[in-house]
This record gives sequence, C-alpha cells and structure tokens, in this order.
Amino acid sequence: MARKKSKFSLLMWLIFSGISGGGITGYLKPNIPIIGPLIAKFTDTGQNLTAGSGNLLTESASGLLGNQSSGSYGGSAVAGRLASARQPSNGQQQGAIQPTTAAGSQGNGNLLIASFNIQVLGQSKISKPGMKELLAHVIRQFDLVAIQEVRAKADNVIPDLVTTVNSNGSRYNFVIGPRLGRSNSKEQYTYVFNTNTVEHDPSSVGTVNDPKDLLHREPFVTRFRARTQSPAQAFTFWMVNIHTDPDEVPEEVDALADVFQVMQKARADEDDVILLGDLNASEKQLGRLGKLPGMQWTVSGVTTNTRKNKAYDNIMFQGQATREYTGRWGVYDLERNLGLSREQALQVSDHLPVWAEFRVWEAPPPTSPVGRPSLYN
Amino acid sequence: MAAEYLAQQGSEAAFAACELTAACGDTEAISDWAVAALEQLGAPPSSTIESLARMAQSKNPLTSYWAVTLLGRAGPDAAVHQQVLVTLLQQSEDSAVQEKAAWSLGRMQAKSQEATQALEQAAQSPEVRLSRVAAKSLQQTKT
Repeated sequence: MARKKSKFSLLMWLIFSGISGGGITGYLKPNIPIIGPLIAKFTDTGQNLTAGSGNLLTESASGLLGNQSSGSYGGSAVAGRLASARQPSNGQQQGAIQPTTAAGSQGNGNLLIASFNIQVLGQSKISKPGMKELLAHVIRQFDLVAIQEVRAKADNVIPDLVTTVNSNGSRYNFVIGPRLGRSNSKEQYTYVFNTNTVEHDPSSVGTVNDPKDLLHREPFVTRFRARTQSPAQAFTFWMVNIHTDPDEVPEEVDALADVFQVMQKARADEDDVILLGDLNASEKQLGRLGKLPGMQWTVSGVTTNTRKNKAYDNIMFQGQATREYTGRWGVYDLERNLGLSREQALQVSDHLPVWAEFRVWEAPPPTSPVGRPSLYN
Repeated sequence: MAAEYLAQQGSEAAFAACELTAACGDTEAISDWAVAALEQLGAPPSSTIESLARMAQSKNPLTSYWAVTLLGRAGPDAAVHQQVLVTLLQQSEDSAVQEKAAWSLGRMQAKSQEATQALEQAAQSPEVRLSRVAAKSLQQTKT
C-alpha cells in the first residue's frame, strides 16, 4: 500500500514538473489550458519573479480592474455596521489572536495570510447593499487572502470586489483559477493580495493536475514573495488553496498529503508550502496530510464556521521548513469585529476567515545537530 | 431568498432536502445557493427519501446529481431505492451522476444482484474515478 502511494506521489510530481517550465526547478507554464482567462491576462503582462534575483513584479492587474464604479454604500444593517467597525476590538475567539492592524504587515513588518470561504461569492452576494464594502474591509485586514467558493458565470465579481478593496487607496491585486467541479455547479479559487506587501510570480500560477480525479476541486497554487527592500532575502512561499468535498473528506485529505509533497519538490529553491482552505475537517480529521513529518496546523481547538459549532478551515505547513511562522494565528470573528448579529454574519458567509502571521524574511535552512541525521534531508 | 437562508443553516436545513434538490433546476442565482445548502446539510430525513428517489430520475443533471448524493448520505435507509441508482449507473449520460450513483450504492450497502453486477462492471470502466469509486462501493456492499 505504501508503495502504491509512493508511486502516486511520484506520478503527481512528474505531472506537476511536466507542466512546469523547467522540470523540478521551473515555473508553471501560464498558458496551459487548465488556467482561466483572467490568469492568462495577468501572465501575459507580468514579469517573472526569480527567487533571489531581485526583480520586482509589474502591477499587472491595474489594467484589468479598470475604473469600475464602486457600487452603492449603506442602506442595510450590514453596511451601517461597517462604519463603526474600523477598529477591531475584543474579537478574540478562544485560543486565537486577532490581527493587530487594519493593514497587515504595514503594522509590524510581518505578513498576515488568511483563508476565507466566502459562501457563494457571486453576483447576487456582491450586489447586496454594503456587502462589497464589508468584504473589502475584511480583506484589508490581511496581506494575502486565499478565497474559496467563488461561484459566478460572469468574470466581473472578483475584479469588482478588488476595485472596492482599493477604493480607499489600497493597492490590492488578485489571481483567480479556473471554474472547477464535477457537476455543472462550478467554483473558483482566488488569491487577493496587497501589492504593497506581497507580490506573486505570474508564471507560477496554476491548478494541480489530478489525473486520478481524487479531488473534486483541484488545488489552486501560486508562489508569492514578501515585498521588501532586499528581495533576495525575502520570504517566498507556495500557496495551495483547497476546498474539499464534504462527502469525500478522508479520501481528499489523504490526496492532499501527496499534493503537499509534490509542491515541496516543485522547486529546488523553495521549501515553504502553505496549504490552506476549507478542508471540511478539524485538526483531528486530517488523515495522512496531518501525519506528514513535521506538519503543523495553525488552527486548533476552536471553531471556524459562523455558527460556531464546526472546525472546517485551517492553514498548514511543515514547521521545520516554514520557520517564518511567528506563532500568531486567529479566527476573525465577523460578529465581534464588525458588530454584526449572527444573522448578518451568516449573510457574509457560513465560514469565518482564519489567519496566521509570518515574518517577511526568509529563515535560514534548518541545520542538523552534529552527529545526528536530519529528518528532512 | 429561501435557498440562501437555508444555505446559512447548515445541517438544520435538512428538512428542506427535497425543495433544495428541486431548486437545483432553477435559475443560476437560486441553484447556486441550493447547492451550497445541499453540500452542508448532511443526511436527509427519512421522510424525504421517496421523493429524492423520484428526483434522482430528473432530466436535469444537477437535480439528479444531488438527489443521488442525498440518497447515498441516507445510507442503508435508502437501500430500497437501489434499483434507481443501478439504472443511473448504467444509463446516465452524465458522468458525475454515474459516479455519484456508484458512490451512493456503496454508502447504502446495496446488496441486490443487479447492484453488484452494475458495480462490478463499473469497476472495470476506463474512467479512473468511476472505476475507483465502484470498486470501493463493492467492498462496502460486502461488509
């Protein structure tokens, strides 16, 4: 059985490497058919990020986002609450720490990375009075947000949302994946990120190939780098965005163990893989994924859904590799931070954002104590 | 909107399993919320199984897909309707419905000769997921 899994892992790696530009050290090709039209637009205009080279990325999304109207404000209880929610107060959930600033790493030099399943994020949701503004406010709490459950046939939903995020002078950008799903009800993943604090490699954007069709919605991956004055020393990392099928959680979290290992090998110069999303599983239900050597999950002992009775969402990485993690994490309580009622918070989503904090500087590789073999070499 | 409200209720929306399944055939705005509700509502009440078995035969692939899924979640309580799933497994033109039918037959531990034969045949399919799911369901029916 172990041999079989090992073969599968190898197969996944080979396929992943195959769609990369140069095998194990290459980037994903941007023009492969599994990538959606918006991605193609981004990658056509962006410049490659080479880890350690010092090249900065261009602002490739500005033309795509355009000068769209920011929609109507106010008029609903949700919108009315937003104005009084600028300063998050006592919003802690048990065991969790709240973001300390409304501008992510601009506050303390660290990166705040979040995962947020925004239930049925489509035209009907963002058309509600005040909803775009509320979501924009939540997104601005973080430097990089992995979003699940974009459900829209039109392509304007995320551009409209990001335009609203930027309506206060912020400079957020996004990348979005293809529509995925086995039935004709499809979902997309997206990353929305603050270009002042983090940049993405346009040539690294892609969807993990899944030839055995083990995953209902294959993970959406992108490589990011903290934006610093010294790019060669900046924290770089893969993000792996996932929304599992609630009917096949044990099978899918096991398959994600293989995905994680594939991503660890995708580039010889990248040891940081952050897998995050709606796993439909608590930290006790992570199967083979949770048993990978050194695997660390940030969210533990708390609930992550809005009704506060389930733990579905998490942010995971290998602790020894991703020593950039500061130990700070949290569940962003929509009710307490935004002054919403439970009913109002449920209109935003049935999930709460979960987040974790990382240093912007790449940690040196772990060294093995003399005379003792390393577990990871 | 009712479907949106139900999508916010988690497993407490299970009482509306039939209505939500039927709503999968509605407009995009409604069906998106219906699917979101169905993903999270868990097993349907036994009182809905008869209706779900009828809806599984819907010509709308999304309605059929979710009716079949809920029958599978109902487990052995829905085994009386296994022939509906056997027919879908063998004849549906929608691969997602076929795969879900195979999955559901395993969940309900379908033990009829027809179910076993259909699963054995599906387990030989060149479609990698259908083959895998059918093989696993065959194991479940033998427990």
